[in-house]
Amino acid sequence: MNERTAPRSIEQYLAALRAALAGEDPALVQDALYDAEEYLRAEVAANAGRTEADTLELIASTYGAPEEVAEAYRTTEKQVRTALAPPPRTPRRTALGRFFAVYSDTRTWTALFFMLLSLVTGIFYFTVTVTGLSVSFGMLVLIIGIPFFLLFVGFTRVLALAEGRLVEGLLGQRMPRRPVYPVKGVGIFESIKLMLMDRRTWTTMFYFVLMLPLGILYFVIAVVGICVSLGLIGGSVMGLLLETGVGSGAVNVDGMMYHGPSPLFAPIVIIGGVLLLTLVMHLARGIGRAHGTLAKHLLVARTDQT
Amino acid sequence: VEPDTDLDASDTERSDQERLSHKFQRELNAGLVGLVLLAVLDGADEDLYGYQIAKRLQDLADGNPPVKQGALYPVLRQLSSNGLLASRIVPSYAGPPRRYYRITEVGRATLAEWRDIWRNTRDFVDGFMDSNGAAS
Repeated sequence: MNERTAPRSIEQYLAALRAALAGEDPALVQDALYDAEEYLRAEVAANAGRTEADTLELIASTYGAPEEVAEAYRTTEKQVRTALAPPPRTPRRTALGRFFAVYSDTRTWTALFFMLLSLVTGIFYFTVTVTGLSVSFGMLVLIIGIPFFLLFVGFTRVLALAEGRLVEGLLGQRMPRRPVYPVKGVGIFESIKLMLMDRRTWTTMFYFVLMLPLGILYFVIAVVGICVSLGLIGGSVMGLLLETGVGSGAVNVDGMMYHGPSPLFAPIVIIGGVLLLTLVMHLARGIGRAHGTLAKHLLVARTDQT
Repeated sequence: VEPDTDLDASDTERSDQERLSHKFQRELNAGLVGLVLLAVLDGADEDLYGYQIAKRLQDLADGNPPVKQGALYPVLRQLSSNGLLASRIVPSYAGPPRRYYRITEVGRATLAEWRDIWRNTRDFVDGFMDSNGAAS
């Protein structure tokens, strides 16, 4: 069966591999295609005496037929996912247990860290993209405008790889391991045209611009949420302590006297603070998941594209 | 030696056997590829990328390694995710940017442990193979 459909060129092999991996995670497909392309191009170059078709014929016995390779990626990917997944948590039986289990989930804490970090990365990505685009368009009438734009697009691809690693590490969304690179074997103008027509070139820039408002939003949600809930808990505990005779009965901040809630209300406020903190944690985990999906859609090509 | 009464049946039998052998080889490879990759990178005096690693395996196995080279790349990623390998990206003129791998300290320690496990397993299995081979 394989002999009948044996690929005769690198492009045919990659197309067969893409077909064999249909329905898999786009990041996995991109990695598999780039891995295969690296090997095939090196193998064709190493066998300069043979034609590409002759070399490709031997590929099935060395690199493996597209179906075999696809199977290897599927199996190994499953193992990696199992090995890297945080240890399985004991399922909580009660609704209350499930509600508070959010604290023992590693993803909650990494997502919270991502939310705080995204203010910094958001400002950086936004500045790079807006500066790069403005300078490119500004210099378009000059001869250096085009090389500058190409350099800028190349830089956004490297930046997208870095952001992908961050998203995979902190949010657990599988992202590619190699940056997008220009299509080989076509002229410079054709390659620029392909780059301009590649949906991912523009969605990547859109993602970077979007990261500023998102980064601000995430940062504010995380900081305000945590401060308010810790303030509710801490203030009430302090108030109760002061009521019991520790200290003077009030807290003096810059000449203003602050009193905790009355002992009757303090426990209710503490419970409210704990509930709010837990809700913020749930929100952080949810934002982490949603942002991972967003990053995958904007930074990784769909499987039907190169 | 076999009485070949039904050609179709023996063909099916042979392909069944091939399938089982293929499966056996694949299951054996599952753990061993990681061990071999660690050993190759431990013995290398420079960082290597996927194709170079694949070629080293091919050279050692006289051109016909028991594992398809396409299966090496996902295992490299697996080892790297577990911290046994470190890697860096280098742009290439001939194709996609290359990822160069080198073994980490954790990787070396793991390799030493895996090597012991492999030797024990090999001796254990060989013990049975030798005695069975003598008996039959």
